[in-house]
Amino acid sequence: MAIETQLVKKLVQIPIFGALTLGEAADFFDAASEVAVDKGKTLFREGDSSDALLVILDGEVLVTRKGVELARLGRHAVLGEMSIVDGAPRSATATGLSDVKLLKVPSARVQQQLKADNLAALKVVSHLAGVMSKRLSMINDKLAEALGQDKKREELADFSRTLHRWEF
Amino acid sequence: MTSAEAANHYFKKAARIMDVGERIETLLATPLRELKVQVSIELDNGEIRTFSGYRIQHDNARGPMKGGLRFHPEVDGDETLGLASLMTWKTAVVNLPYGGAKGGIQVDPGKLSLKELERLTRKFVDQLHDVIGPTRDIPAPDMNTNPQVMAWIMDQYSKYHGHSPAVVTGKPLELYGSRGREAATGRGLLFVAREILRDVGMGVKGTRFAIQGFGNVGSHAARLLAEDGGVVVAVSDVHGGIQSARGLDVPALFEHVRRSGSVKGFPGGTPCRGEDVLVADCDVLVPAALGGVITRQVAADVRARIVLEGANAPCTPEADEVFEKKGVLVVPDILANAGGVTVSYFEWVQNLQHVTWEEERVNGELERVMKEAYEKVGQISRSRKLPLRTSAYVLAIGRVGKATVLRGI
Repeated sequence: MAIETQLVKKLVQIPIFGALTLGEAADFFDAASEVAVDKGKTLFREGDSSDALLVILDGEVLVTRKGVELARLGRHAVLGEMSIVDGAPRSATATGLSDVKLLKVPSARVQQQLKADNLAALKVVSHLAGVMSKRLSMINDKLAEALGQDKKREELADFSRTLHRWEF
Repeated sequence: MTSAEAANHYFKKAARIMDVGERIETLLATPLRELKVQVSIELDNGEIRTFSGYRIQHDNARGPMKGGLRFHPEVDGDETLGLASLMTWKTAVVNLPYGGAKGGIQVDPGKLSLKELERLTRKFVDQLHDVIGPTRDIPAPDMNTNPQVMAWIMDQYSKYHGHSPAVVTGKPLELYGSRGREAATGRGLLFVAREILRDVGMGVKGTRFAIQGFGNVGSHAARLLAEDGGVVVAVSDVHGGIQSARGLDVPALFEHVRRSGSVKGFPGGTPCRGEDVLVADCDVLVPAALGGVITRQVAADVRARIVLEGANAPCTPEADEVFEKKGVLVVPDILANAGGVTVSYFEWVQNLQHVTWEEERVNGELERVMKEAYEKVGQISRSRKLPLRTSAYVLAIGRVGKATVLRGI
């Protein structure tokens, strides 16, 4: 099922698809399909098998992990991009904060294109690497901050436990 | 090794046995505030002299800081810091609601007239009054400072902050001092001696004591131990020593010292050198003079089975190891000589409450405090199989540490 040319024009404005020509984009989104999800429904759950890359065409999506909010994503944001790379199960849960319209790109199809050295798929993955690298850097910062705080609390707490062991 | 270095050594040793971690160790060792001030005065002849004054405030987690002020040519920042931390551990061992501090002026007070000494003291208070006080830091007498100096401090501080007798302890009895303060350190030694002797199946009565130093600590310890039935077999001061295997007549010795100014020449015993007292044939050795006198070599020759540290750090850490190997019990300074600061605390309490205790009450409370501290240190020593000194430091670090954790960083 091919998607409309109008939509392809919009999709190439999304950063990770930004390097694609219209022709390449049409090729890349060749097997994509549109999906609608009602407000409050789950798009996928943490641990689900990840079969597709999702692009939000309309609406807002909440991303959580172990009940903790990670992000709120809106129009033209991309979800499940890791599925292209490793095909590992979903690392987070996504729920519609409103009625949501999505474009679903099967990851099997993208992996197939990659094996065939398809230029469009390679361009997308190359952009994806940039996006993930930025995200990793942000997470590293947060991790350092969180570990630093925990360390301080733990050091005092450790000391307190040490004193307790000595039974004063 | 100075007594300050020794204190630091013992602190580190205990902290490592407790495994408190490097950063907590640093937190506990680092002083809260180090103050160095200029103390300039005009001498009686019109000349100007400038001295350096110090006050090192080590830790206040458990309460206002407490510690002596000394006038001595060798006062310096490093040594003062070590002694300030020693006060933190000492007040913690006897569980007084205090932290630790120490200070002094680098001066030879023997070269100053009384008027010059008064001007020096008052000028020092002018420079210091913002950081001391009954709820901040309470100085006390130390080397070459006495009740008169404390009276000047109280007077000068009160000019800035209103009537404040609790700013300093060790004051004259006529000016808010406490009964029992003068003999307090010696009396504390007696109480600790009773406890440890009972632990080893002995008692003060009939036990032979050798006492090095016959100043404020040694003289009162000798008198009180003798009154309790102890046999004082040797004593010494800076001028020399005297010994008698059958025991010295302590009241007669006091009378001799009152007349001549020294134990030397006392007719009721055999003269000896000061250092001979340390290795005299006795059951309990009480070094109550200077720090560092019992080195590794001296320790090897010590014949006593118990050493009560009346002075600060009379045993070097090497001597300590020798004693440990020989099975000699060492009651450490931060426990054994804590009677002085304990009665200083009582003086402060009386001042804050505007009351005066009878000497009986002072001595009774002192006995309770010393017994409790000894009991607690002994418990740690038995349950963890540690020497008394390490146990005392463990207890002190534990108490200071708990207060620090509860207050938060």
